[in-house]
Parts: sequence; structure tokens; C-alpha cells
Amino acid sequence: MSASHDHHEDAHDGPKVISVADRHPRSRTIQVVRPEPRDVTFLAATAKGLGITLKHFARNFFLPLKSAKDRAAAGAPQEDKWKNEIETVQYPEEKVTYPERFRGLHRLMMRDDGNVRCVACMCCPTVCPAHCITIIPEEAGDKNVEKRPAVFEIDELRCVVCGLCVEACPCDAIRMDTGDHAKPVEDRANAIETKESMLGRGIRSIAVQGGEGPNWKSGGPAQPPHRGGHGHDH
Amino acid sequence: MDIVYKILDFPATKWVFLIIALVMPLASILTWMERRQSAMMQDRLGPNRANIGPIKLKGILHFVADAVKMIFKEDFIPANVHRGLFALAPILSIAPVFIAFAIIPFGPTIYPHSLTSTLDPTLLATGQSPELFADSIRLQIFQIDFGLIFYFAVLTLANYGGTIAGWASYNKWALLGGLRSSSQMMSYEVAMGISLMGAFLVTGSLEPGAIATIGASTSMSGSNPLNWLWLWQPVGLVLFFTAAIAETKRAPFDIPEGEPEIIGYFVEYSGLRWGLFFLAEFIEIVFIAAVICTVFFGGWQVPFLDADGFRIGGYVDQITGVSTGGSVWYLPHAIVVLLQFAAFGIKVLLLCWFQLAIRWTLPRFRADQLMNLGWKILLPLSLANVMVTALIKLLFMGGPETP
Repeated sequence: MSASHDHHEDAHDGPKVISVADRHPRSRTIQVVRPEPRDVTFLAATAKGLGITLKHFARNFFLPLKSAKDRAAAGAPQEDKWKNEIETVQYPEEKVTYPERFRGLHRLMMRDDGNVRCVACMCCPTVCPAHCITIIPEEAGDKNVEKRPAVFEIDELRCVVCGLCVEACPCDAIRMDTGDHAKPVEDRANAIETKESMLGRGIRSIAVQGGEGPNWKSGGPAQPPHRGGHGHDH
Repeated sequence: MDIVYKILDFPATKWVFLIIALVMPLASILTWMERRQSAMMQDRLGPNRANIGPIKLKGILHFVADAVKMIFKEDFIPANVHRGLFALAPILSIAPVFIAFAIIPFGPTIYPHSLTSTLDPTLLATGQSPELFADSIRLQIFQIDFGLIFYFAVLTLANYGGTIAGWASYNKWALLGGLRSSSQMMSYEVAMGISLMGAFLVTGSLEPGAIATIGASTSMSGSNPLNWLWLWQPVGLVLFFTAAIAETKRAPFDIPEGEPEIIGYFVEYSGLRWGLFFLAEFIEIVFIAAVICTVFFGGWQVPFLDADGFRIGGYVDQITGVSTGGSVWYLPHAIVVLLQFAAFGIKVLLLCWFQLAIRWTLPRFRADQLMNLGWKILLPLSLANVMVTALIKLLFMGGPETP
């Protein structure tokens, strides 16, 4: 125990044991590290620190603000040396540009006739790790479509914006490519996106439902959509 | 008309003028300036939004918003506190600073009968034609011979505010903060007093008005920057500045407050009572700046501006009032007074700015480090400063003056 304790002390920057007396294991010589005489008054360090902070202050106080473009390229070498170093984004007037792959709010895509593309297959609520999607299916009335969602709701407060629902969707019904972040709300109920609100952001999709089928390897013509009804839009 | 001059020269009038015209605006603006300046030093922008309609002024109105918020916050008094002392503590910490301002000369003596004409230093020094200099208004509230000793005595009382607040709050953290506040005073107070003794020796006076007016030597103009004590007492200046920052209880010596460990002696305070502690801290900054400005930087003196106007190259002997050489640009007395009052404000503002710069540069000291600094470094250095100053005075400057 004692040996390991010594080792522990040596490994750190603290008091260093120079030697251990033979007669008594507890009496040992310890090297004490004292500050150098020039550091005792802290004057040199204070002057150096003041030099750094006052340089920043003078630069930021007297030179004009950087343009929004310069600030967007944060960390990059500064092009204009006669601008200051303030990186603050003035939020309501200026906004940070989101990265290209930012997903944003969901939207529901439409068929040619303006109906929702979703067939209520329940893939997305199944894969959703946050359990934020609620779908209640109903009869579509159209025998080519069979099912459609009566209720399609996404709780944006629970959504983790992972995009798994988009990957799981077999018929390009849900997308996350709006680039808008969830709007701030005053009431939690207002944070729930409904089918209508998501359809409002959606457009008509021309994707062929079902893909190329078993002939995908041969590169042959796409198999006609076996359920029909919306395959004639390509 | 006499009664008007009498009222204007009445200490309470001057006190109200000083507090309303200089101290409170400066202290309020400092609350905004501190956030703004620290932001600038850290490549941020700081608060710049507070506005009244279109009047924005780079957010300088932030202190109004702060004040309104503090006034309308609930004045919460926790259970089990000692109510009397709890209410007394904020007043105890802010009142001594206001009292100590009594010794600060914040402008020259105004001679109302010669406001429009140029003063003659010779007449002023020899005391001829007293009707010109009658009804004078001295811009200093109390001219007392022991001026700076009075400041030490009174400002020490401000520590009781913190200590009593800690004790009355019925809170262990507040009590620790209060105890640290008094232990911190032990560390710096002795060195602070002794670091100014060199300045007393050089000028032969304890009275801040005399120190600001005369400077180090009577054979130079008081307005000559080389006559100010920063040149004659550089060690004293550094030592006093260090101790004075400890006096304001701010970083690097903000031991009584500590956000990560004990919150501070005002942990149980809210609303305007807390605001009084906060304001007391900023008024202390202004006061320390005023003392340093008065003792070391010529107080209200504008460089090369004597009582009759700007004088380049020559000097006015302060005992006989005889001016020698140089070219003079004569100015009426009223302009001179205005310039000198403005100079005092600008000097104090710059020294406040420097205190804020130090506060946002240095990390905080531990209590034992401050003890070491105060007793093992500041105290011996200030004693040595007194000895060396006294020796130089004795050997080269003809020994003690006999008043």
C-alpha cells in the first residue's frame, strides 16, 4: 500500500519524495517547489496578461466589426487585418447559415392527385427511436391504395432529427429536407406537427413506388408499379 | 447673493452635487461598462440591446433596466434571519463609501467674483485684493488635515457590512463569506496604509486637496505631470493599487465571494438589498479611482493648465505665485474650472477602466495566497518604500519641512 502510494505521488506534480529514511518508514525528505523569485510578486505575469487582454480590447474597441461573411468562416485566417475579432452573431438581424446536410422539419409528399403518398405501412413509427410519430391508418377508399393515414402526427419536442423515418419510408412519403428548425411555441400542443401542416410543406413526388423490383441487377426497364394508380407520372 | 454662495459652499450641497453629478452616474455606467469591456476583451460584443424606443446608445441604458428589475423584484427575507442586522447590513456597506467621498477634492476652488476674468496667480498667492477672491467655493466637502487617515478609518467600516450580512443571514455559506471578508481585510489593510506613507512624506501633507494642488514640489507648477506623485512614488502607486483592489473585494481578490464554492455574504439577499451591495462595490471602484487619481495623478489638474491658463515651458512658484518664462494662453476662470472638473472625471473614468481590465485579466487568489501577498510582499515592500523615501528626503531634499 505504501509503495503504491509513493508511486502515486511521484506520478503527479505535487511534493516529490527525494529519499526515505531507513530507520523509520514515515520520515522522508520531500522536495518543496517554491515559485521563482521573479514570480513571487506576480508583477511580470500581471503585465503579460494585461498586455494580451488589452491588445484584444483595443483591437475590438477601435476597429470596425467583421462582416457576416468573415464571421461565417470562423477560425479561418482573417483576410482583413483592419477588422476586429468579435465573433458574435447579432441574432434577429443575422442568422447562422446551417450546414448543407441539416435536415430540419419533416414534410409529407403528395401524389399527383394531391393526396398524401403515405400508405400507413407503419415503418416510420416502428423505426423511430424517440417514438414521436403517431399514425392511425384508415381505409383509403381507393382499391389501388388500400390504406392511408387518418392521423399523422410528429411531436417535434420528442423528435431527435435522426432521419431514420425517411430511410425507412418505402414510398418517399416523408422527407426531412426543409432546412427549417422547429419553431418556438408557447404551448406544448402547438409543437405537434399534423398531417395537414406537413402536407402544407410537401410537393408532388414523381418517385416510382416500389423501385425496380427483381430486375434491378439487369438494369432492365422498371417494373410497372404493381399497384398502379400513381406510376404514370414518370 | 452672499447667502447663495454660502449655500453653494455648504458641505451637504457639495456632497449632493458630487454624488448626483459624478459618483452615481459613473457607478451605474460601470455596471454596463464592466460587461461590455469584459466582452471586448474576450472577443464578444456584450450587452448592446437595452433601449428606450430608438435611443440605444450601444446599450448603455442597460443599467436602467437593471435598476428597474431590482426595484420590482420581491424583497424576500428568509426565516430565522436577524431582521434588524439583515436590513442594516446593505446600508452599512454602502454608507461608508459615500462618507469617505467627503475628503476627495473633485475640482479647484471657484472664485465666483472673477469667473469671467483671468485669475492672477500672484494676487491669489499673496492674498492681495481679497474682494476678487471672496465667497470662494471649494470643491471638496471636508478639508481636514488628516484626510487620507479619515478615508482609511471610514472605509474599513464598510467591511462590517459584509461581515454583518454574513452573520445575520443564518446561512453557513453567507457566514463563511462574511468571515472571509474580514480576514481579507487583515491581509491588505496594513500594507495599504503604509504604502501611502511615502506619498505623505514627499508632499508633507495628509490632506488630499493639498496633495492634488501642490504635488511633490512647490517650485513646480501643480499642473506639471512631472510634479505628480506617480513619478515620485512609483512603488507606492503599485502597492496601493494592489491593496486597493483587495479593498474593493473584486477579482483577483474576490475571496468573500466565490460562485463555485460559497456564494458570498449576500447569498440570502435579493432585489434592491442585493443591489445595494452590488452598487457599493462599484462605488468603491469609483472611490478607489478617485483616491489614486488625487494622490498619484494630480487630482483635478489638467496637464500644464495653471490657474490663469495653459503655460508651456514656464512654471508658477506655488508660494510666491510668481510665474517664470514660458508662453501662456490665458483663459477665463470659468473655463479653467470646467476643464479641471472634466479632467477629474476623465481621470477617474480611466482609472476605473484600468481596474476593470485587471479584474478581467487575472484569475483569483486563494485566501492564503492573499495573506502571503499582503504580509510577506506588500508590507515589507511598503515599509522599505517609506524608509527609502524618508532617507532621500532627509539627505537630498533638506529634511523635514517645518510648517
